[in-house]
Amino acid sequence: MDCCGGMDEHDETCTEVKVKEGIDAGTVAAAKRLESENYSAGFVTDIEMEFAPKGLSESTVRFISAKKGEPEWLLEWRLDAYRRWLTMEEPVWARVNYPKIDYQAFYYYAAPKNAAKYKSIDEVPKEILDTYAKLGIPLREAEVLLGVEGAAETAATAREKPRIAVDAVFDSVSVATTFREELKKAGVIFMSISEAVHEYPDLVRKYLGTVVPATDNYFATLNTAVFSDGTFVYVPKGVRCPMELSTYFRMNAESTGQFERTLIIADEGAYVSYLEGCTAPMRDENQLHAAVVELVALDDAEIKYSTVQNWWPGDEDGKGGIYNFVTKRGDCRGARSKISWTQVETGSAITWKYPSCVLRGDDSVGEFYSIAVTNGRQQADTGTKMIHLGKRTKSRIISKGISAGKSDNTYRGLVSIHKKAEGARNFTQCDSLLIGDKCGAHTVPYIENRRADAQLEHEATTTKLSEDQLFYVRQRGIGEEQAVALLVNGFVRDVLQELPMEFAVEAQKLLEVSLEGSVG
Amino acid sequence: MSTALKDLIRNPTIAELELVARFAALKADARRERLFEAFAQTGLPGRRIEGWRWTDFKAAVTSLDALKAAPVRDPLAQAGVATLRFTPAGYTAPATLPAGLKLLAKDDVQAMGGAEEAPLGALAAALSGGKTPGTLLVDVSAGAPVHLHMVFEGPGAINSARIVFLLRPGAELHVSESHLGGAALSTALVEFTLNKGARLHRTVYQIGGAGEAQAVTAIIEQDAGAESVLTTLAFGAKVARLETRLVHRETGSKATINAAYLAGAGLQADITTHVRHGAPSCVTRQLTKGAVLDGGRGVFQGKFHVPRTSGQQTDASMQHNALLLEEGAEVFAKPELEILADDVQCAHGNTSGALDAAQLFYLRQRGIPLTQARAMLTEAFIAQALEGAGDLEDALRAEAQAWLNHAA
Repeated sequence: MDCCGGMDEHDETCTEVKVKEGIDAGTVAAAKRLESENYSAGFVTDIEMEFAPKGLSESTVRFISAKKGEPEWLLEWRLDAYRRWLTMEEPVWARVNYPKIDYQAFYYYAAPKNAAKYKSIDEVPKEILDTYAKLGIPLREAEVLLGVEGAAETAATAREKPRIAVDAVFDSVSVATTFREELKKAGVIFMSISEAVHEYPDLVRKYLGTVVPATDNYFATLNTAVFSDGTFVYVPKGVRCPMELSTYFRMNAESTGQFERTLIIADEGAYVSYLEGCTAPMRDENQLHAAVVELVALDDAEIKYSTVQNWWPGDEDGKGGIYNFVTKRGDCRGARSKISWTQVETGSAITWKYPSCVLRGDDSVGEFYSIAVTNGRQQADTGTKMIHLGKRTKSRIISKGISAGKSDNTYRGLVSIHKKAEGARNFTQCDSLLIGDKCGAHTVPYIENRRADAQLEHEATTTKLSEDQLFYVRQRGIGEEQAVALLVNGFVRDVLQELPMEFAVEAQKLLEVSLEGSVG
Repeated sequence: MSTALKDLIRNPTIAELELVARFAALKADARRERLFEAFAQTGLPGRRIEGWRWTDFKAAVTSLDALKAAPVRDPLAQAGVATLRFTPAGYTAPATLPAGLKLLAKDDVQAMGGAEEAPLGALAAALSGGKTPGTLLVDVSAGAPVHLHMVFEGPGAINSARIVFLLRPGAELHVSESHLGGAALSTALVEFTLNKGARLHRTVYQIGGAGEAQAVTAIIEQDAGAESVLTTLAFGAKVARLETRLVHRETGSKATINAAYLAGAGLQADITTHVRHGAPSCVTRQLTKGAVLDGGRGVFQGKFHVPRTSGQQTDASMQHNALLLEEGAEVFAKPELEILADDVQCAHGNTSGALDAAQLFYLRQRGIPLTQARAMLTEAFIAQALEGAGDLEDALRAEAQAWLNHAA
């Protein structure tokens, strides 16, 4: 692997890392804890699996569609995408290097045997339940409920330990979805997308592919052709989803690719917070993960999407690991809607991921908050796109990249203000920290402004006025970052601290990091 | 024309075929061929190429017919300063040159480092010769500061020129360049090698019409303790690219890279820089300011590259601030960092927006009309980027002022 972008060769014999003076020791320790030798989710679950024939062809697409008993329109959509994919070229612009992927070497469908969908949690094989338990994701509602309604429970601890509904995706299928009935009472639809295709075909058809079209990019088109499962969420008008929703993705089988598709719709005035977690066993081979996530927020709706991505990163020599090529996009379709992305990226050998917001509705808000830590030979090229189309749309980007070992960490972002985006506003801050002298940190921001009344600030303020505002807020004892949040988005938040406990283990550790001593 | 030559560029446009023909008409030379091949890899670069996504020469240069442009005044012309003049018709140099400066016009073409990264620079080098020298070498020796002025102007179809400067240890050169356009395509390549402790003051003025394409490529390499102060004022053209590629080769080298652009309707100005910190403890200070009117486009692309090990103790900062003076203006920016060394300081900042309403209000309540207030504030905003031009600062500021008053 060419981890320094072909500039200079690493000295292979040198293992000692000298850390520059001024870098917080806690940060170095936090990054160290994330090294692959400390990867705790790397075990394999031994369970009988059913595979699609290896490789990719029209018949693979038909096989997956048939497995799921899909309607004709969906099969056609998949086949169109597959045919288009054949004509497309894999993108090469990201600052990542990896050997050419042999798309015929993967299984595009792998499911635990007899697992069309387990009717009740009792039917889920013990091996799978154990797997999730081991990862700290309890699927049995009873256990979850016990945790919440235990005798010693006080109101305060109940607040600290909110209930979470989980959709567990094991390789290509969703094996369990908890709290479905309770959510249904609130009108919230939370189920796997394969089920939603049957139960709510009109909703799925209305929104699927409208944010990330089948033609969007190489990996999204591949996903469209072969997506196996994923989560579907619909929150009806005016409903605040009563609990956190989450999906836990687990890749288990060898030589498989995981291609999940998530679709979340928040109808007018709705609110939903959704989390996803990802892990995979340690293997010497590279596995492919090409997901698509589509979010739609209508008038006054808000979607909060958090990710703790901890796919197997490969060992310290760069052997194995997940190729994480993901297309995530949120469409703020309605006025005053809001979509916020939070990501804690610690895993994957290669990350290629740009969760984006299309700010279409007037006064809509987009946020991107990211911490990416790379170790060993990991390469991450991640960032966001904020497309301002509507009037008075606002966005905020905070990205912190920490590179250690022989890794490369790139922030790549686009802020685009279109002609009709009157009074749009963006603030971007991206900090990078290098731990040791064998890693790299890169920043590639694109800023396109087509509005005179837009205010765009990338680690700098445009006018004296903003400096004065900032000073005013800061002298009230509010930290700079929060002060910027106040001024740009009008409120303070710290997404990471809001992550539910189950997902917050890595995130909490990362909260200790400080970007003191950053290079740029 | 041989088929091999024709095939150099994939799907060539009419303008590109014309360039191939011009190349074919020049004296064959292996180095020239290599340079043209470097250009031919991209042809006229356009939006499909990452570094040219906002500055599309392929689309802008439709034909290479000679323009009939009226002569343009040269604000940097100074009495008593030796002037080199480059036009589509050829090149002229004064009979007497200042002490410490030697000119050497060579027939053959000299190799160019990094030709692939600068396709229009490679084109300038490949098309030099015939009426102009294949390579014009300028040798500057240590002693009193040497002053030189260069003018690039039309009329004509293609104006291409290449000048290679060598600043001997301890030499000091004050060079000013006026790129006045007048040709359908003007492309100039200016290379500077700064030996130990050499000092370069380079001031560039660029102006062009709404039917012209202009490219000015500068390649600067600096040895230990060398220092350069670069100042540019650009008014753009249909497409205008002012690209500077600078390498700090040895410890303690310093560079100040400032530029201002003012783009009116139908004009585009692109300031692109690439700085490589190839040695420890080098310093780069970069400031770009811009103001754009309705129908104009400003582009800023900056990149600091800090290699592993050799780039330690880099101290570099990049700042781009732009004003969109009217609706319909466009400003595109990409302030990029590529850092592979851990003990460095690299800052970058980018802002774009309108003039501060509070400042405008302040001036207006003092009885200054809106248009004048706008011009004053914009001039103040731009001025900082022109401060390094020394004796020529006033001339540049006067041009900026005239433009702003006219725009208002």
